[in-house]
Amino acid sequence: MMQGPSGPATIVATTSPVLRIGGVFKRFGAVTVLDNCSLDVAEGEIVTLLGPSGCGKTTLLRCIAGFWEADGGSITIDGQDMARVPVNRRPVGVVFQSYALFPHLTVARNVGYALRMQGMAQAEAERRVAAALETVSLVGLEHRYPAQLSGGQQQRVAIARVLVMEPRVLLLDEPFNALDAKLRGTMQVELRQLIKSLGLTSIFVTHDQEEALTMSDRIAVMRGGRIEQADSPNEIFDRPATAYVADFIGSSNFWPAQVVDGQVALPDGQSVASALQGPVRVMARPHNLQIAPPSAGPWTGKIVFQRPVGPLIETHVETDGGGVVKVVAMRRESERAFAHEALVSLHIVSPALCAVYPD
Amino acid sequence: MAVASRTPLPGAHGMGERIVDALLSGRGIWPAVPAIIVLTVVAVIPFVILLSLGFSDIEVSRGAIASRTFSLEYIANALTDPLYWTTFQRSMTLALTTTALCVFFGYPVAYLYLVGGRWTKRLILVLTIAPLLTSGIVRTYAWLVILGGRGVVNSTLMGLGLIDQPLRIMNTHWAVLIGMVQIHLPVMILPLIAVMSRHDTRLMEAAANLGASHLGTLRTVIMPLSVPGIGTGAALVFTLSYTTFVVPQLLGGGNYLNAATMIYEQVVYSLEWSKGSVSSMILMVTCLIVLVAIALVTNHFTRWTQGRDA
Repeated sequence: MMQGPSGPATIVATTSPVLRIGGVFKRFGAVTVLDNCSLDVAEGEIVTLLGPSGCGKTTLLRCIAGFWEADGGSITIDGQDMARVPVNRRPVGVVFQSYALFPHLTVARNVGYALRMQGMAQAEAERRVAAALETVSLVGLEHRYPAQLSGGQQQRVAIARVLVMEPRVLLLDEPFNALDAKLRGTMQVELRQLIKSLGLTSIFVTHDQEEALTMSDRIAVMRGGRIEQADSPNEIFDRPATAYVADFIGSSNFWPAQVVDGQVALPDGQSVASALQGPVRVMARPHNLQIAPPSAGPWTGKIVFQRPVGPLIETHVETDGGGVVKVVAMRRESERAFAHEALVSLHIVSPALCAVYPD
Repeated sequence: MAVASRTPLPGAHGMGERIVDALLSGRGIWPAVPAIIVLTVVAVIPFVILLSLGFSDIEVSRGAIASRTFSLEYIANALTDPLYWTTFQRSMTLALTTTALCVFFGYPVAYLYLVGGRWTKRLILVLTIAPLLTSGIVRTYAWLVILGGRGVVNSTLMGLGLIDQPLRIMNTHWAVLIGMVQIHLPVMILPLIAVMSRHDTRLMEAAANLGASHLGTLRTVIMPLSVPGIGTGAALVFTLSYTTFVVPQLLGGGNYLNAATMIYEQVVYSLEWSKGSVSSMILMVTCLIVLVAIALVTNHFTRWTQGRDA
């Protein structure tokens, strides 16, 4: 699934990518932080760089913005190589983690900063600032200082501040970190709708998978300075390319198995096809499993833990073969019928959605 | 322990217990009482005595006041005598020039500290703090060696054939100014560094991202945010250099009269304590006026810090 520097064949000339990252390397001393990273971002697309801390996602963002220089590879925007373009000349707007608003400037002057640096005529600059504040619904707060705003308002100032300079690429570095959990959900949806309505090509960095699933057209899961898989949220969730991606996104159950004649036998008696050979690991999402009375199938175990998760119910079953399997189901009477420590049997709903990875 | 002292045992309601209890309770002004007592004895009372001297005609004999009568003569004299006017003007000019030059030379050093790497930062810090660990008198004597008739500056210039005979730098206004700036520079740099290193480095990145050049970032972000540091540094440097005694005395050659050296002569040599008292009052009032002005200007440029917690 990883896209090489040559780019996927599906992208045709008329929709050539706005941002093209080709085989970028970055080292700090002996540590390789970016290891041959390649990614194309199409016009108006929101791509999320997702991964644990230290995976290189922030480094990649900083290389695109120009705060750091890549040691190898190329970063091009609209076909122009960015290597020799200084940071203050790149057509890139950054929304920083905790926003980095200028504390000594009012909202209006924060938003108009880029225009003043361009030396734009005051009347035109004021008109654009007003338009940007209108876009992010901050009209009336022009003369406040950042310290007098709520977290959500500060975030919108940060967005308006980069919108006025009409960047080709918008970079967002964990913009929801500074917000409380309740506000985060609303702001995620609002921000995605805003970016989509403006048609801005965006790169969004986060370590929060729910945020990534909400915000993105495509998610690039990073690990150790490489992009493991870059695909739509649904593809990433349903068909994770590697065991790492499967483990990182959503919760998952793994168990060892053997490929025999191109088939992997599943513990409940069904089977799934695989092109691999020898020992493998099979992954099933908790919602792809179902519990039934113990007599209903050969894969049996005992319920060791059960908890409600909103409209869902999560059950942990300790199988007879050892190991705990997670099952998630809608909260219905039938699911609640199984008491703690009850003996049950497990069933795979859709064997085709079980992924098989080399051991 | 604190809890126990706040709830004394029944029957232990003695006067002493209650005072100790109030002192340890951590409420009201009680915890400040010991400090207030010490300050009253060592600062407030001597200060009041000093002030009263200025309103008295006194006679000093054998280091003690022999007689005193109320008089406004010395105050009136000070306001009309041109010697006071020229001396305080000289002190004020020297202090303001020193302050301005310290900002001028100190700011680039602090900026270098802000943008420099780890070793640059360490070097600047060591070079700034090291002079503070040596006595001001030692540092002033070093300038005698550098600026003297056969000093480093003159012998270098003569060796290069740029001048025929030594320049007279020592015992002039210039020697005093050079010494003042060098002695007080660390006091300017340290508050600047303290304020600047609190800046979020992302503000500089944000400025660059929004199209600002290095100079643009310095002008629009770093300088406005370092105004409190400039204010603190300027207040310290001004106060120290306006009231300084050692530098003018040593580098000015004993005939450079500023406020502090004048007070010294009035009190120690001519035993005119009333004159010394009046001079001290003028020194203090004019110093306060400038400090208030510095504070007002600083506040004007840091309006954004007001209502931060609103």
